[in-house]
Amino acid sequence: MSYHLDRRGCLRTSTAAATAAALGLGGALTSCSPAKSAPVTLTWWDYFTLDNFQPGMRRLIKDIEAGVPDVRIERRTFPFAELDRQITLAAISGDLPDIAIVDNVAMNTLGGSRLLADLTSRVEKWGQADQYYKGPWSGCQVGGKTLGIPNNSNCLALYYNTAMLRSAGVKPPTTWDELASAAHRLTSGDRFGLALSAIRTEEGVFQFLPFLWQAGGDLDTFTTYGATALSFLHDLVAKGSLSEQCVGWTQQDANTRFLNQRAALQINGPWQIPTLKKAPFDWNVVALPRDKAAATCLGGENWVVMASSKHVDKAWEVLEYTQRPSVLVPYLVSFGELPARKDLADQGTWASDPALRLFLSQLPLARPRQYGAHYAEASQAVAEAEQAVLAGSASPSAAARTAAAKIDKALGNR
Amino acid sequence: MSRSLSPSARRRREGYLFCLPGMAFLALFLAYPLLYNVWTSVHDVDLGQLLGGTERFNGLDNYRTVIGDPAFWHSVRLSLIFTGGSLLFQFTIGFALALLFARPFPLGGLLRSLLLVAWLLPPVVSGTLFRWLLDAESGAYNALLEGVGLGALSHDWLTDPATSLAGVVLANIWIGVPFNMLLLLVGLHTIDPELHDAAALDGAGARQRLRHITLPLMRPVSVTVLLLGLVYTFKVFDIVFVMTGGGPVDATRVLSLYVYEVFFTFFRFGQGAAAGLLLLVVPLLAGLLYVRRLRHEDAAPTGGAV
Repeated sequence: MSYHLDRRGCLRTSTAAATAAALGLGGALTSCSPAKSAPVTLTWWDYFTLDNFQPGMRRLIKDIEAGVPDVRIERRTFPFAELDRQITLAAISGDLPDIAIVDNVAMNTLGGSRLLADLTSRVEKWGQADQYYKGPWSGCQVGGKTLGIPNNSNCLALYYNTAMLRSAGVKPPTTWDELASAAHRLTSGDRFGLALSAIRTEEGVFQFLPFLWQAGGDLDTFTTYGATALSFLHDLVAKGSLSEQCVGWTQQDANTRFLNQRAALQINGPWQIPTLKKAPFDWNVVALPRDKAAATCLGGENWVVMASSKHVDKAWEVLEYTQRPSVLVPYLVSFGELPARKDLADQGTWASDPALRLFLSQLPLARPRQYGAHYAEASQAVAEAEQAVLAGSASPSAAARTAAAKIDKALGNR
Repeated sequence: MSRSLSPSARRRREGYLFCLPGMAFLALFLAYPLLYNVWTSVHDVDLGQLLGGTERFNGLDNYRTVIGDPAFWHSVRLSLIFTGGSLLFQFTIGFALALLFARPFPLGGLLRSLLLVAWLLPPVVSGTLFRWLLDAESGAYNALLEGVGLGALSHDWLTDPATSLAGVVLANIWIGVPFNMLLLLVGLHTIDPELHDAAALDGAGARQRLRHITLPLMRPVSVTVLLLGLVYTFKVFDIVFVMTGGGPVDATRVLSLYVYEVFFTFFRFGQGAAAGLLLLVVPLLAGLLYVRRLRHEDAAPTGGAV
């Protein structure tokens, strides 16, 4: 399911130029790039396969090839779930790309693997680290090294159906108690108060972790705070405010329920905004309700350079170039994503669009899932605990205890 | 340098030459990966070590870890239930349909070909179909029950941990029935009709003929069908992956999904390889049994063979 991006004629000409140069014909044929030496071809992998991402990506690559001297980008895309696996397989076959855009949670596995090039000294020389929000930036630090830089960031917030809340006389909830009572009052007939994703993948965990953090805990205190978060969700299901079907829902499915007006509230990310703008009803978005603490989970992607690359310097030059506002802003706008940089807060669509602004305002609260190389096992334990509770096969405290044991074993907390 | 070979020796050499491409293929695509897997299974391999080439030999540690993992045994149990349930129903329904289609009737050929569609569909497609059919909110199964006034019986098959395995088995039965039917039908055709005629003349009823002629003569085919079914079903992956992804919780995480998770979610390659080899044990035994039976049948060609 991967395809090479159709390269532009310009590229073909510059290939011809390179060949010509190699044959000793000199610069007679140079047309697109000021190619004195043969351009370096960097391979680039990402998972932005959807059509609506392609114009922005094409533009970004064109920008890079025009702005960074002597570089050509050869891009390959994979389905979201496939990229990590492809990188793993490529590590075995020695066929890794130079640059990749990976999910920020993948830093856990990739970071512990010596697959990624250490960018620490380059980043220090560059000196722009403090321009990034804390969450996204610290998500790129593994074991004291900088192994990537943020590409874009997102986080979760609470969407609500304006008319439904008005007719039920409910204000957008700001605390757990308000959320529980709002969801309860908004439930009627085949309409659920709240929709969220509790699927047995990282997606479900991405949606669950904010509850754990809001309860005041983290993965190392799962027995206590995991139980608190799980029993909160359990009560929502028990009261019928949240469908137990959510154990099979992706975030896309939750959004579909919200779009079909079969859920009055939903927890979701900013990437749903373009779809929701076409909805035939008014909606708005507020911060996730808080309990002991306010928290949301950091999503988004990071740029990484592979340690195996022969052109780490060139790749870093490319990354550095992409962080210029003139390059980064149009790219993020076309993707409908938020910047991970504070200095871009007053530019682009997120400065004016109220929904995007809300998400941007939550980024300082967004926590990265930064738990080390064996996070995947801990994550699965969390997902299974949530599923067991919501499907009614375990009590919140028992599920939390079981999960905590697995989490401690995986993460080595003792 | 030429040596004159006896005709039989030359023929033998030619024989080996003709085998060579096949042998090379097997060595490259079967033996090498398998041996590599065995090698991996006795080393401590994770993502980082793949690059550095610093895998440490750790003997049977990986096997010990896998065998000591309760999740592994849970998966073994699920695989056995999945395989047993699938085979039982695939075989009985397949046998009944084979008996039906053994006699010519109008449109019989068309119906038989239509049934085969189930088997020809890629498992990803049939898995997706069944996921929709069994969907709690919009699935046809629940809609049907509601439609005939049995709404109380409607059920969230795939999201209830108690029934999700049954849901997946149901889909797999549907896929496997045509395969069973087809092979058993071939078997039925090898039974000499005169036997039935003679028995009927002697006054044997349909039930007696089934019991004393058809069933005994179908035994060799049946065993073959079941062995092949066992091999196919035990290593099932795609349909479960598509329908439930192993969930809810771990209610449908059959062995192949367990292995997949250890490999591609946790990136513990050594343990994954060990678990993968353990997964191979059951199909391998079944396969050996099958090959032995084939030899046996070649030696004494009695009864129906597939």
